[in-house]
Amino acid sequence: MWMTRRNLTRVVRMPSIIIPMAIMPLFFVVAFTGSFSGITEVPGFPTRQVINWVAAYALIQGASFAGLGAAGSMATDLDDGFIDRLLLSPIRRSSILVAPLLYTAIRALIPITIVMVASAMSGAAMPGGVLGVTLAYVAGVGGGVVIGAFGLAVVLRMNDIRAMSVVQTLAFVVMFPSIGQVPLVLLSGWMHWVARINPVTNILRMARQGFLGPVTWADTWPGLLALAIGTVVFGAWAGYELERRNP
Amino acid sequence: MTAAVGLPSTFDGSRHRFRVTLEQGFALAKRSVLSTWRSPAAWVPGLVLPLMIAAVYSAQFAMATQLPQFPPVDSFLQYMLPASVLQSIAFGAGNAGTDLATDIENGFFDRLMASPVARQSVLVGRIMGAAVFSGFESLVLVLVFLAFGAPVKGGVGGVIAIIFIAGLLAIAVGGFGVAVALRTGSPEATQSMFPLTFVFLFMSSAFFPTELMNGWYQQVAQSNFIIDPTRRLVIYGWSWTDLLQAVAVTLAVAAVSLSWSYRMYLRRLEVK
Repeated sequence: MWMTRRNLTRVVRMPSIIIPMAIMPLFFVVAFTGSFSGITEVPGFPTRQVINWVAAYALIQGASFAGLGAAGSMATDLDDGFIDRLLLSPIRRSSILVAPLLYTAIRALIPITIVMVASAMSGAAMPGGVLGVTLAYVAGVGGGVVIGAFGLAVVLRMNDIRAMSVVQTLAFVVMFPSIGQVPLVLLSGWMHWVARINPVTNILRMARQGFLGPVTWADTWPGLLALAIGTVVFGAWAGYELERRNP
Repeated sequence: MTAAVGLPSTFDGSRHRFRVTLEQGFALAKRSVLSTWRSPAAWVPGLVLPLMIAAVYSAQFAMATQLPQFPPVDSFLQYMLPASVLQSIAFGAGNAGTDLATDIENGFFDRLMASPVARQSVLVGRIMGAAVFSGFESLVLVLVFLAFGAPVKGGVGGVIAIIFIAGLLAIAVGGFGVAVALRTGSPEATQSMFPLTFVFLFMSSAFFPTELMNGWYQQVAQSNFIIDPTRRLVIYGWSWTDLLQAVAVTLAVAAVSLSWSYRMYLRRLEVK
């Protein structure tokens, strides 16, 4: 808790950290809605209002910035020797990883809320009701934590601030070939295949269902499973990298 | 009398200074190109990411080309060609500013200022280096698009025109980066300007035709006078009007960015 508070204090003291996290989700909502509004005219597109489709994508993209923030703060702490001092002190090693992930989860609430408000103002529907909104938040926070865990693992592995660009690029590469902008039925060839097996598709489906209709278990459990597997696998990897580190 | 012997006349002196500035600018541009080339991390993303986005979008939006409002293209990949080239410049031209900020931070800029180098050549070298490298990246991108079946209807002239426009745009974008670098002296601050170029790119017909947009966004996107004429060279064929429109608008943007960067340069010299 102390380490999470320390990270949150850093955000309060350096508002510049929060600016990309606040502005980029807004930009995503505006850019995706404005640029691709015509895509709804393609026969078979599930909604006439593009915002109902892209809000979930903007939400996950925005939350991913919170995850990158966790990796960034770890990189800074590694660079100035803070992590090595922590490793020498009598604290649980797991707390060194849990704290930035908790910090990510709290930070992710900001871009998610911004996207939800901006989407509502842009005319997004929410037939899924409170449950739909809750699942959108769960998907966003979970997505941020998965990217955060992945980022921690890569940063600990590379032990270099430049690991951030690797994390950023890989997060971008994984999110892109999914149902972010176009539904699976309208994808063909290699893209259809990649989007179908991409776990981001399941997370997006979970986040998006409330914008398109009632919430169903069939659209929920694959997303929850993808988030759980992602957190466990990347969390374990980050733990392994921390364990093999000698201060 | 003796002192005047061997000295160039005022006209000859100006010509000499100009030649020296060009020579030094060329040497610094060469240094800039070589240092970029030797750091693949600085230029590989500028080639790979636009190609990846083009591959993904052309698979995702293939169906959209059948809509009646969509321009007559062979494929979405062909529609994406100019956008990918401009995207590559957005990635690459910012490096001119970041590299200059690094030079300022590590003291190379101060050593350069202490040496008898022509003042203008420092700016000319940095920006020309970015333009040359962007031209090279654009050529590679166009060749990859051609290999994947996205023709340039404007032919060889069209390809040369795209590379020329790309080089000019790199000067325009690079000028802004250099101005920020000179103003702040910080690579981080200069790099933080980079997302702005993406905002301009997104708020245009780069990724989707304006005919399929609506409201204020469509009006803003229609005011982007560089990407549309460049695309017409790709999908309709050669046109002097389109070339001149793209070049004139890019030159106007470059004039603004270069003026700003020169002002910032003089300001930094005053501070020194």
